[in-house]
Amino acid sequence: MIEINDVSLWYSPELKVLSNISAFIDRGKKIVVCGASGSGKSSLLRCINGLERFQKGEILVNGVSVMSPTTDIYKLRSRMGMVFQHFELYPHMTVMDNITLAPIRVGKKSKGQAKAIATSLLERVGIPEQADKYPSTLSGGQQQRVAIARALAMEPEIMLFDEPTSALDPEMIKEVLDVMVDLAHEGMTMVVVTHEMGFAREVADEVIFMDQGAMVERQDVQTFFTAPENLRAKQFLKRIIR
Amino acid sequence: MEIINYQFDWSVIWQQPYGSMMLKGMFTTVLLSFLAWCIAVVVGITIGVFRVVPVRSLRIFGTCYVQVFRNIPFLVHLFFWYYAAPLLLPKSGQMWLYDTVPNYAFLAGVMGLGTYTASRVAEQFRAGFLSISPGQFRAAFASGLTPFQTYRYVIIPLAFRIILPSFTTEFLTCFKNSALTMTIGVMEITHTAYYIDSFTWHGLETTTAASLVYLTLGLFVVTLMGQVEKRIKIPGMITRRS
Amino acid sequence: MDIDVIVDNIPFFLGGLILTFKLAVIAISGGIFLGILLAQARLSSRAWLYYPATIYVHFFRGLPLILVIFWLYFLVPVFTGHSLNEFSAVVISFIVYEASYFSEILRSGIQSVPAGQVMAARASGMTPFQTARYVVLPQAIKNMVPAMVTHCVVVFQDTSLAYVIGLREFLRRINLVDAREARSVELYFFAGLVYFVICSLGGLLSQRFEKKQLKGAHF
Repeated sequence: MIEINDVSLWYSPELKVLSNISAFIDRGKKIVVCGASGSGKSSLLRCINGLERFQKGEILVNGVSVMSPTTDIYKLRSRMGMVFQHFELYPHMTVMDNITLAPIRVGKKSKGQAKAIATSLLERVGIPEQADKYPSTLSGGQQQRVAIARALAMEPEIMLFDEPTSALDPEMIKEVLDVMVDLAHEGMTMVVVTHEMGFAREVADEVIFMDQGAMVERQDVQTFFTAPENLRAKQFLKRIIR
Repeated sequence: MEIINYQFDWSVIWQQPYGSMMLKGMFTTVLLSFLAWCIAVVVGITIGVFRVVPVRSLRIFGTCYVQVFRNIPFLVHLFFWYYAAPLLLPKSGQMWLYDTVPNYAFLAGVMGLGTYTASRVAEQFRAGFLSISPGQFRAAFASGLTPFQTYRYVIIPLAFRIILPSFTTEFLTCFKNSALTMTIGVMEITHTAYYIDSFTWHGLETTTAASLVYLTLGLFVVTLMGQVEKRIKIPGMITRRS
Repeated sequence: MDIDVIVDNIPFFLGGLILTFKLAVIAISGGIFLGILLAQARLSSRAWLYYPATIYVHFFRGLPLILVIFWLYFLVPVFTGHSLNEFSAVVISFIVYEASYFSEILRSGIQSVPAGQVMAARASGMTPFQTARYVVLPQAIKNMVPAMVTHCVVVFQDTSLAYVIGLREFLRRINLVDAREARSVELYFFAGLVYFVICSLGGLLSQRFEKKQLKGAHF
């Protein structure tokens, strides 16, 4: 479903963010990407939906090249959902407006249809009563759940998560992870950049470990936790898991 | 200190024909400023967007526009529009202009004031855009919104709320700058006040009245924008306490 | 495109430019001086200083400069008995008007110095005067230089308003030549260019100072 072929990204000759990344993500699979800060994991995620433009290599989503000038990138993006570390809800719109903006403007749905979709999604993430509130009045966990609903509103084939719980207080991490676990069990294809190894163990099919822009370890989840090969990966696991 | 025996004659302000002249002058001031402001907002937002998009040619154009208007006095612009611009039209265009347009000074005033104020509005919107986190752009793009849609539904409304105080000040400045159109013959309130002096030698009263007009207009604009601010306030954002 | 009209009149224009600079310098120095007094009054806790100064500032900031020029042109003779000559009318108007803007820049510059600085200085035994001289003002001045320079450029541009009273500064002279020769495009283009160059230099100066500022601000 997603083919990443030998992708490299750099801002200058000294600042190489991604080096020769190759991966294949099947439909229905859950991939967890982890690594230290600056290892390029967020950049890789952003390359998948074209938010970052890389210089070398190719990414194909269902056979469509992300970087090709003939690709309708907006259509492509509407088939993918993304959730950000800092939620990035639009502060000047209500929760309902946040969720219905893209379905109306991009998905060309009517206001009524969009509202119905939004309401059912809010119920799915557990906060239907917040529909008419503004984001700043919600807790971090609630905001992130709204963000997930917003991403799901476009009925994507794949969900991309960029450290979704890193900006949350510990009490709220669980409520967001629960939503993500439910999503995983429903069969959604997911690529999740995270430090939450408990989540990885529960839900992931594969773990990719990145270090300084390179993909240094890629294993199915069991092997990664029990017998990682790469030294840096081993060190990382030691520090993350007490 | 010798006070010359000056007979104040305040009736100059409302006595005919001066009363209706003053009224007409007030109307001209308001109409000219308002029309120019409409142009300024539309052009200003566009130039402001040009200055921040990742398209180099647009950025350069925007920067040139702002620099040209910022470094050249408004009077020079006015004179250019009134005296020089018609000469740049082909002969047939000039004939058409002088035949069809009844009050070219007014039109030149509107164009000059509009384009000049636009450069200042552009700078304010640019400041607003720069203060919006890149995550907002990413969230919008990730859901499939085109750049145009992103600016229209997310970025511009947000920036507007951020810069509302300086936007209000700019509106006031536009009103004040309209007084300068007297130099090309527009009979707005300041010109009228000065003009009446040549008939009545009571310019002090008329200019005092004109001052009151500007101060009242200022008060009106500030109150109006205060109401606007209340309506579109983003809950949780720091605003001015009245 | 007839450049001769510009070249032939260069001495005439130069004279105007000199007058423009003269006017600008007087307006800026007078404006800053009066502005300092106003700023202090606006920062004072004494009501008899604060309220008149605040009214003054809001009053003049709400009016167009051109109207103030006319208003004072009519007003001053009423009190002094003599009518005003052009140059004096314009100079007084400029100083009185620009002072209100300068005072706000000065005031915000002083208020941008954290209150903790004053506390620290006083705690070490400095008098109010010493605190102002050694702690507050140096920092305040650094903070306000960009806004000050920008406003000086604005004052320089405002001098073109002296046109309305017939003062033969630079723009008025351009206008006079235009009335005679009717080569508006070349002339106003030239005027725009001259102002553009001078004001851009002012802007660059302000930017360089800001860059120097940033270099020094490592804590």
